[in-house]
Amino acid sequence: MNSINPASLKRRSFIYRELVRLGAQFGEINGGAVPLSFGAAREVELASARRLALADLSVMPHCGFKGRGTAEWLTAQGLNIGPDSNKAYAQAGGELAARLAPTEIFLMDSLVGSGALMSRLNAAWTWAEAAPRPQQGYPLPRQDSHGWFMLAGEFAPEMFSKMCGVDLRRDRFAEGAIAQTSLAKMSAIIIRADRKAKDGRAHAAYHVLADVASAEYLWSCLMDAGKEFDIKPVGLQALQDLEQ
Amino acid sequence: MKVMNCPLNGPRNISEFAWGGEVKPMPDPASVDDKVWADWLFLENNEAGVVREWWCHVPTSFWFIAERNTITDEILKTYAAGDVFNSRVEFSKKAETK
Repeated sequence: MNSINPASLKRRSFIYRELVRLGAQFGEINGGAVPLSFGAAREVELASARRLALADLSVMPHCGFKGRGTAEWLTAQGLNIGPDSNKAYAQAGGELAARLAPTEIFLMDSLVGSGALMSRLNAAWTWAEAAPRPQQGYPLPRQDSHGWFMLAGEFAPEMFSKMCGVDLRRDRFAEGAIAQTSLAKMSAIIIRADRKAKDGRAHAAYHVLADVASAEYLWSCLMDAGKEFDIKPVGLQALQDLEQ
Repeated sequence: MKVMNCPLNGPRNISEFAWGGEVKPMPDPASVDDKVWADWLFLENNEAGVVREWWCHVPTSFWFIAERNTITDEILKTYAAGDVFNSRVEFSKKAETK
């Protein structure tokens, strides 16, 4: 695989130096340098992703909308937003709309990462001219505020139990559930988002979103906590392969 | 660890929460004198018994109200601030005295 130099792109992960050190092979997605693999054979990385693996998705498109009227406005834009907070709702294009609170939505792109939905929404949003303005919420830039990791594999819940007070076992923490909690003493958002294979099997996977300024710290904490389960860094390819 | 029930996030370790002071009725800022205003702003009654307090779930910055017995440190109930503060407060302008 031809790897691009992440420094050649303006958009790269805050931890790209660490990823380079670990042997990441980068590809360009939506103008950003995304680690696609870590140099191992494709089947080997897939096996890691089934066991326990950490991937960095920070460069993939994500954004937020907040304020009174947000859910109604997004629904009018064609999104599927359910009534419950702390629940993530799947969208038609594979994106995820995480309802963090009644009036706050965190949008994450699919693993294709085209950013199409986010571009459309951000282009569609304008302040209404008329006063009083209707309650429609406002965009919240999230791309550079939150680091975005995915922890995949059957040992993920066991590993989380070492560093997080919330019970994330698969029989307690349902698909789409969100825990906004303390992870390795950091405030973090954990979202269960199983990767569904074509044969119907669901492979355990969790999104982890946290303050980007501490992304290096959190990455090292997660890799350290996973050592006893033989955690490996994987790229986007392995996560996509989970769905094959 | 002690567990507190956040109205938004459910039961969580107490280490995820920050105390925000007692819930006190605000004196009218237009007519109140400085001493009473400072008293409301900075001083706590520190009552022994059941008190209503502001608490914040730090990972979500979600502020809510808890009723707590300060003698036994027992949390009796928690609810969203919107249950109590459900109407907009308008402030009239106060003429400057200096």
